[in-house]
Amino acid sequence: MKYILMMNTMRAGQGVLQWPQKDLRAHIAFMIGLNKELRESGELVSAEGLAFPDQAKLVRAGKDGVPITDGVFPESKEFLAGYWIVDVDSPERAYAVAAKASAAPGPGGTPLNMPIEVRPVMSGPPPEML
Amino acid sequence: MKYILLMSGTKAGVDQYHSWSQKDIETHMAALRSIANDLSGSGEFVATQGLAEPAEAKVVRGEKNGIPVTDGIFPEAKEFLLGYWIVDVANAGRAYEIASRLSAAPGPGGAPTNMPIEVRRFATYEPKSQ
Repeated sequence: MKYILMMNTMRAGQGVLQWPQKDLRAHIAFMIGLNKELRESGELVSAEGLAFPDQAKLVRAGKDGVPITDGVFPESKEFLAGYWIVDVDSPERAYAVAAKASAAPGPGGTPLNMPIEVRPVMSGPPPEML
Repeated sequence: MKYILLMSGTKAGVDQYHSWSQKDIETHMAALRSIANDLSGSGEFVATQGLAEPAEAKVVRGEKNGIPVTDGIFPEAKEFLLGYWIVDVANAGRAYEIASRLSAAPGPGGAPTNMPIEVRRFATYEPKSQ
């Protein structure tokens, strides 16, 4: 069963750039270690980090086919910061991996305990979409 | 450059989709299929995925005694990821064009949904000269 684990942040998530270099390195090393573990257990499908929200655009179709882009978002909007797709035996295993990612170290090495949204991925896109 | 095009909606929006006629759903899916085909043809297609219903979503925060702490209660206003497309395109403008086409996919009665599509760049590190 495939699950997507989503790490969401508010725009304030960019505060990570103000962390001391040492804490940032420890955080990234933790994430690299987690990805390596998941790759070795054969559970990692993909993992990506997204560029900061200041580069995000919202696009809607215009009348004449010209994209209408907007870069203004409500303060409370949650932005996807990154995600993992894992292929695991049970939802409980997906939750366990999410809990591990949630506990990644933050400033001073304290676990962040950030919320990770866990969602089943459809086993494949509906055949009519392929 | 890789971009992810995120289609999100609230739980109320998802419930509304369930009331679309079979014909409208088929027309909508055919439009999405045709966009995916075009992207495959142009070599810009990387991946697409639909996510299972928000009712199956959980949020995980850290762990207690080795057990993940899960919660399935979300604010009414929360936007859930419904699906995404990953494209590999020459520039941001092209990513917005594709998002605009997705946004114009037909909804009930064939009218464009004009759904907002969030466009985000992958945080991969590429040489500055490119």
